[in-house]
Amino acid sequence: MLRRIWFRRKILAFLAVMGPGIITANVDNDANGIAIYSIAGASFGYRLLWVLLLTTVALAVVQEMSARMGTVTGKGLSDLIREQFGVRATVFAMSTLLITNWANTVGDFAGVAGSLEIFGVSRYISVPIAAVLIWLLVLRGRYKQVERAFLFASLMYVTYIASAILAKPPWGRVFREMLTPTFETNPAYLTMLIAVVGTTIAPWMQFYQQASVVDKGLTTRDYPYARMDTVLGVLTMEVVAFFIIVACAATLFVEGISIQTAEDAARALAPLAGRYASLLFAVGLLNAALFSVAIIPLSTAYALCEAFGWEAGLDRTFREAPVFYGLYTGMVATGALVILIPGLPLIPVMVLSQVLNGILLPVILVYMLRLTNNRRLMGDYTNSPLFNLIATTTVLVVGLSAILLVGISVVDAVKAAVVSF
Amino acid sequence: MVFISQIVGKPVSDAAGAIIAPVADLAARQEDKSLRISGILLRGDKLRVGIIPVEAVGEVSSTGITLSVPRASLTTRPLQPDEVLLVEELLDKQVVDIDGLKVVKVNDLQLGRSNGTWQLVAVDVGVRGLLRRLGLEAPVATLLERLGRPLREWLIPWQMVAALSGPPTALKLRVSRENLRKIHPADLAEIVEDLGREAQLEVMANLEDAVAADVLEETEPEVRTSILKSLSPERAADILEKMAPDEAADLIATLPEETAANLIAQMDQEKAATVRKLLQYPEDTAAGKMTPEYIALPEWFTAEDTIRYLREHAPPAEYLYYLYVTDAEGRLVGVLSLRTLITANPETPLRNLMDTEVIYLRDTDSADAAAGALAKYDLLAIPVVDAEGKLLGIVTIDDVMEILLEKYLPRLPARFHRIRRR
Repeated sequence: MLRRIWFRRKILAFLAVMGPGIITANVDNDANGIAIYSIAGASFGYRLLWVLLLTTVALAVVQEMSARMGTVTGKGLSDLIREQFGVRATVFAMSTLLITNWANTVGDFAGVAGSLEIFGVSRYISVPIAAVLIWLLVLRGRYKQVERAFLFASLMYVTYIASAILAKPPWGRVFREMLTPTFETNPAYLTMLIAVVGTTIAPWMQFYQQASVVDKGLTTRDYPYARMDTVLGVLTMEVVAFFIIVACAATLFVEGISIQTAEDAARALAPLAGRYASLLFAVGLLNAALFSVAIIPLSTAYALCEAFGWEAGLDRTFREAPVFYGLYTGMVATGALVILIPGLPLIPVMVLSQVLNGILLPVILVYMLRLTNNRRLMGDYTNSPLFNLIATTTVLVVGLSAILLVGISVVDAVKAAVVSF
Repeated sequence: MVFISQIVGKPVSDAAGAIIAPVADLAARQEDKSLRISGILLRGDKLRVGIIPVEAVGEVSSTGITLSVPRASLTTRPLQPDEVLLVEELLDKQVVDIDGLKVVKVNDLQLGRSNGTWQLVAVDVGVRGLLRRLGLEAPVATLLERLGRPLREWLIPWQMVAALSGPPTALKLRVSRENLRKIHPADLAEIVEDLGREAQLEVMANLEDAVAADVLEETEPEVRTSILKSLSPERAADILEKMAPDEAADLIATLPEETAANLIAQMDQEKAATVRKLLQYPEDTAAGKMTPEYIALPEWFTAEDTIRYLREHAPPAEYLYYLYVTDAEGRLVGVLSLRTLITANPETPLRNLMDTEVIYLRDTDSADAAAGALAKYDLLAIPVVDAEGKLLGIVTIDDVMEILLEKYLPRLPARFHRIRRR
């Protein structure tokens, strides 16, 4: 009896702090995420599954670091970077964040365009309308009410699980490939590898989760729950990623279909939904795209204002917080505008945005590693050696792959130039 | 006038012109109302034992610091416990602009010389300070000048700044911190929301219980919960005792059960009992919004009795305008206004003065109903009774205003016009 009461209280305490990790992880499966996992499965079959195992551990470690910094210091990540490393380092970190987040926003608007093109709606109509709607929704302070709807709609990822199982993939092979890392140095493979890492561990997530932890007023006392919340979020996210890849590998890859448009990716849901696959996929993609278009520009504006001490917050008026509203509006507007460039191929835009995530991720991770190892800042909550090892390995692996990719691309470009000359 | 960003990293040379080492930081000490520079910390001095005393400094300029003595006769000393390191403890940190009533970030520090001593004159919180740190001030300023939009300075005089930087520094910056007391609690509440947790606790540590209570009442729930959880239970209980009981109950209701029980146990018994009683009611009911601080009088009191009673007991109720009348069982039977009471014949008993047509709420009515009733009947407060008609408390217009604001007006101007004494 006593045990049950205790258990119930623990659960309640968990529910009260639950959120930051689970919400962050869910936004992480944005339109870009769906696109990348789909392409990974369609183009490389089960060959990239092993990356998911690694990103699960890495993402959990990285997000836990954010949550821990939030509970211990009660400050946001950009605030800490500014206080500990000064103006120059802050400008560098914030530029990185601004660039990747902007690219993510562009990618997600591509998701809006792609999903609605399945219904035959032109992107010149869908994108401006979506941009204005989201902009108004957030500015009118109604975002919190809609967040639940978004989260609920995220349940549609379950369809991938069903679809993957119905496609009857060779499970033995799936798990074997998941446990055997492969590495290829061709640009296509490297690009996809970095994109998968970049879409899973995106730089905005650390800022966003830490800010939510601080906003919720969580302290070190809530830390065990915040950690549980983080792990739970990461796990659900990775499970979804796994099934998207498997569903695509079992349907598109075996038929040799490469993904050129959103419509192609939708066919991965055919085992479950048959001819309604496109419809289902479009709705899911649209939800994921809108969810992150709402969150990412806003969290960017918060992070930048926090770093430079500008007033921020939706409870401020435009006159009080011009930079905050300017940044938010600018990101939404320019992000949408890019998609309106005639003839712009949507899928490559999404891939590119995630590759950029991956390339710039090590920058943010290095800052985080230095912060979480600062005893004056973190007290007894500094990183354990294991955490340092995992985070450092992540920085090195992603960093080296990025350098390799850039190097190979440059060499190829030079070769092509020489040949054509 | 010189900015600290123009000094840090520049060489310190002795009277003979020999370069000693670059400047790492400046030490300063509180004297009267100002923060005076007391020494120079050199780069590489990790242990902070080789501070050059300010007395040995000859000239300070943006090209470097020249000492007035040769290196051989220079005596250095360790950093003193009452000294603040300006770069380490103020630069890039949050401070409160007590004139503009907001939290700002220190981009640079302006130093000036008066009566032969260097002191901190102002903190730079503008873009110009940021650009200076990046080494881009001159080009950007010239460019903007050409475009006809000169780059403005945004400096806040040090006297108008409340600095909150970590527990060890807090004492050294005591004078600056005391500036917080010049801020209205409601404004301070908004400022507190923008601060880091350590600074929030520092603000609380610096306020008297009653003011701290006013501040907490106005902050958003997440922030006050986090503050209350981090304060010592004794201090938290002291602050809660100074709060209006309904506010205290609302606050406690948001805390984890263990913390809440702990706090109530620390409070004085009478207050704790009131709060416990209020905690029984669900938050979105009229009873959940009511305050138990009202004035109830027996119907057999005369006007004179009543006035004497009010004068002697000076009840803590905020709303004196309505006096509620109860029978021997504590049931609500009537109401009269302060005006009726004062203008009445002293011998008349309340039962003949009171209005027996009373608008009231049941404890189970919704909070929205309370708002509706107050608005409809133009009341400042409305009584809440239980199933037997016993008076439990009153819902006042300010409680209702808060419900309505939350629902319909999420964005308020953060600052209002005011007349302030300097």
